[in-house]
Amino acid sequence: MAVPWVTTVARLVLAGVLIVAGWLKVGAPALSVQAVRAYELLPDRIATAVGYGLPVLEIVVGVLLVLGLLTRLSAVGAGLLMVAFVIGIASAWARGLRIDCGCFGGGGPLAEGQEPSYFWELLRDFGLVVLAGWIAWFTPGRFALDTPLGLTPRPYADEEAGDHEPGASDHQEEVKENH
Amino acid sequence: MGKGAREATARERIAQLRHADRKKDRNRRLATMVTIGTIAVLAIGGGAWYAAARDTAEKQTAAAQLAPTTVNADGSVTMAQAGVTKPVLDVYEDFQCPACKALEESSGPTIKNLAAEGKAKVVFHPITIFSMEPTKSNSVRAGAAARCITDGAQWPPFHDKLFAEQPSETVEGFPLTDLVAWGKEAGVTAPDWEKCVTSQKFAQTQLTQSDKIIRTEKIDGTPALKLNGKDVDSDVAFVPAKLRQAVLAAGK
Repeated sequence: MAVPWVTTVARLVLAGVLIVAGWLKVGAPALSVQAVRAYELLPDRIATAVGYGLPVLEIVVGVLLVLGLLTRLSAVGAGLLMVAFVIGIASAWARGLRIDCGCFGGGGPLAEGQEPSYFWELLRDFGLVVLAGWIAWFTPGRFALDTPLGLTPRPYADEEAGDHEPGASDHQEEVKENH
Repeated sequence: MGKGAREATARERIAQLRHADRKKDRNRRLATMVTIGTIAVLAIGGGAWYAAARDTAEKQTAAAQLAPTTVNADGSVTMAQAGVTKPVLDVYEDFQCPACKALEESSGPTIKNLAAEGKAKVVFHPITIFSMEPTKSNSVRAGAAARCITDGAQWPPFHDKLFAEQPSETVEGFPLTDLVAWGKEAGVTAPDWEKCVTSQKFAQTQLTQSDKIIRTEKIDGTPALKLNGKDVDSDVAFVPAKLRQAVLAAGK
């Protein structure tokens, strides 16, 4: 069955984006705080907390997704993050804010007349929301620690091969031996 | 007991065992999830706390103890103790740039302290990086006003004031009347100060000098720090302790 494998790939893609994004920001917390402030959406104090916490949150959720631990919860968390980013970017776009890491002028990536690539960022984040949804639905995929830990809501059918209640059948035999 | 009755009890026992098993399983699963969840939350909280703690800015030396500051002919400003010629820390910043404000809030005091301690020669280059409105005009107004200051002692407080009062990137800001008042607050006493600011005497100079610096020094964006001519990464520049370490290492 291909579905669990698709979930695994989706987990790795989503986790990769989160870990890279978090890693790039975690080195310069002051810049991360400034980036959150630049959206002018949150009160200053909360923006500061988010600026410090977000990179770590991204990395931790990313690691959980790679390991396949609490997969469904992590996927929902990642999805909510992406939805928050979509809202932030869309509102920045609508308000005509020009947000980027650092300030770029004529010589930088944002040349005169060139707009920040909000459209592509939105498309990317929307795609990631879809991936998160897939992972949450078809949880947890192959190579997930949730499986050996028994944290999956329902194991995949091909692994179970007809025996849905291993515990129950054991007892049945045990009881039969008794008489 | 008949055979049927025996089977019925057996079935009941199976059901009971199954139920107990499920419950045990559920509890174990819950415990595992809570453990992992707790570890994850602690990691996030601890990481955020560590980031915030590491980010604490140094306390700035009192204004009276700042290193002697001189305004150079090209509008750059040198801050260094007498005789200190290296390492050179060049600071390229735009008064309107929010990332520069972030740099000032995190590493600003460290930069001034290093100069005061005689550990570095600091050169500020206030440039206009923006090419779109309203940020471009805001930046030019502030930059041109800063060029009206000739007394080095008055420059650092005006510079700090501009960053403290930085307007949003979406509105027209740094109005001329405010700039005049902030200069007086910073201790500017020159008789032509008000006229120099309101006539925007150095607006064109600010633009041509910025353009020249951006081209010759290959500045992609602001803030840019250069230590002995080499770019300083932002995960060093924005972390006061790391910046200090890098400057001290360059001075050896």
